[in-house]
Amino acid sequence: MKRKFFDLLFRTATCLCVVFSCAVLLAIIGFIVKQGSSAVSRAFLTGEITGAGASGGIFYNLVGTGILLATTFLVSAPTALSIALLHGVYLRNYRHREKITILLYILNGIPGILFGIVGLVVFVQWFGWGKSWLAGGILLGFMILPTVSVTLIERIASIPRKYIEAAAGLGLRQSEIVRSVILPQSAGGLATGLLLGLARAAGETAPIMFTATIFAGATIPNGIRENPVLSLPYHIFILAQDSYSPEVNSRLWAAALVLVILVFAMSIVALPARLKIHEEADHG
Amino acid sequence: MGKAAKLPKHNRFCAIKAASWFFTSLAFVAVTAGLILLLVESIPVWRHSGLEFITGRNWFYRAREFGALPMIYGSLQVAVIAILIAAPIAVGAAIFGTEFLSGRLRIGLKIVIELLAGIPSVIYGLLGILLLRNWVYDSMESLDILSGDTLLTAGILLAVMILPTIMTLADDALQSVPRAQRMAARSLGLTATETAINISLRGAFPGLIAAVLLAMGRALGETIAVFLVVGRQDNQLPESLFSFQPLVESGQTLTSKLGGSETNIAYGEPLHWGAMLGLGILLMIMVTALTFAGLGLQNLARRKNET
Repeated sequence: MKRKFFDLLFRTATCLCVVFSCAVLLAIIGFIVKQGSSAVSRAFLTGEITGAGASGGIFYNLVGTGILLATTFLVSAPTALSIALLHGVYLRNYRHREKITILLYILNGIPGILFGIVGLVVFVQWFGWGKSWLAGGILLGFMILPTVSVTLIERIASIPRKYIEAAAGLGLRQSEIVRSVILPQSAGGLATGLLLGLARAAGETAPIMFTATIFAGATIPNGIRENPVLSLPYHIFILAQDSYSPEVNSRLWAAALVLVILVFAMSIVALPARLKIHEEADHG
Repeated sequence: MGKAAKLPKHNRFCAIKAASWFFTSLAFVAVTAGLILLLVESIPVWRHSGLEFITGRNWFYRAREFGALPMIYGSLQVAVIAILIAAPIAVGAAIFGTEFLSGRLRIGLKIVIELLAGIPSVIYGLLGILLLRNWVYDSMESLDILSGDTLLTAGILLAVMILPTIMTLADDALQSVPRAQRMAARSLGLTATETAINISLRGAFPGLIAAVLLAMGRALGETIAVFLVVGRQDNQLPESLFSFQPLVESGQTLTSKLGGSETNIAYGEPLHWGAMLGLGILLMIMVTALTFAGLGLQNLARRKNET
């Protein structure tokens, strides 16, 4: 009797932990939607920022975040693919592979602000770029490298062995197998990893605040030097600090809502595929 | 991951292979160079203050006095508060997920966790500044606090942010306990709870500790959300580590200092800039140590569960 009671108690307690976590997510989303949805309009999405955020819209913030993400994509996609191929195909020694994984985990742990500080020295000062979209894209690209690479590595590891054996049995050389079996089979993994990585990059503020983005007064860059962009997270970061007028407030929440939608849209497309791979890898 | 199929070997030049080596080496060199840069640029402050930089209690850059201890304290304090709040809830939820849920509900829970993890830190900061700050101020009023920007506020906010990190890693740890052991325990007549505690939790213990350490690394490195609610008050080192009052006062963490306007002022003045980068190195050392400890424990857990 006592054991049954304890069993019930434990189930309830752990269940409450789950309920709490779900409630936190719902509360956060609910709150942002409630506060922000009234100010989201077509004019808000297509208007330029005016009056230090009190009027106008976030058009160039969206454009800027888009430019940063495109650059991030171009930096991280080839690099992550290279790392994953090296890990899954070209490195035969288990220890060497292990080293790559460990380096990726360390890179994953490095706080975003340190990327920003190093970027400030290298790009802003040494290269003399000032604040530039390219610096932000490169830094974000490095930051999401572990996310993209690890997803891709898991995907390559889960390619059924018989595909590769069949290709080898047909007499294909290594480079042909990579091109005709491994790359097509892992394309989904690359897409998933990139979506998850870019979802993270879209909301990052710390790496770009000293290196790539300003609050107002930038449109579309026409070069590299002294060509900052506006961005959604930095916009929210600045407005959050020094505005209490209701005008700003509703636009601030609207910008937050747009950012959350952007991030969730990318994650939701990517998640089911990733979770499935992950679960299968656990039980396989 | 060690079971990827072996490919036939050949030694002719291959463009994809060459490109793979090229990009990987490039990334490796760039990251290493970045870390070396942190070290080299911080040399002035180590020359100037030596170990006093770590143990010093005062930071007055105009007086060329650089002591990082209050910020180390701030960083550790908010991270510990976050862990104390988040770890029990996250591990509890992970247990429920692995022991009592299956199939679609499990995937559903995992999606919730991943979405929670996906919310950008600036959004958490915004929620902190507009909601949590007032809540802390109101509920701590009896303590005579000056504002809602406190170490405690930052800690609570971080707790929500690292909740999904601990949950995911704890879930992985619990999953890696062999199913056969659970079934054996159940067939001996243990209840689901007794199995969870005696088999799963015990088997996953190193992995769970790893989850907490890795999450703590994340908490130490978080910048934006902490920056917005911690108050950014320099030189706040309490006399006693175990009193509650300092927690409801403003403080400064390593990251909130690095994210502040002082970073822009400091560049160009080697000593001051060196001190800022010195903070970066302290942060890097703390985070990397936690990452290594976490990975080591995970390895240990894996080996334990394989045999």
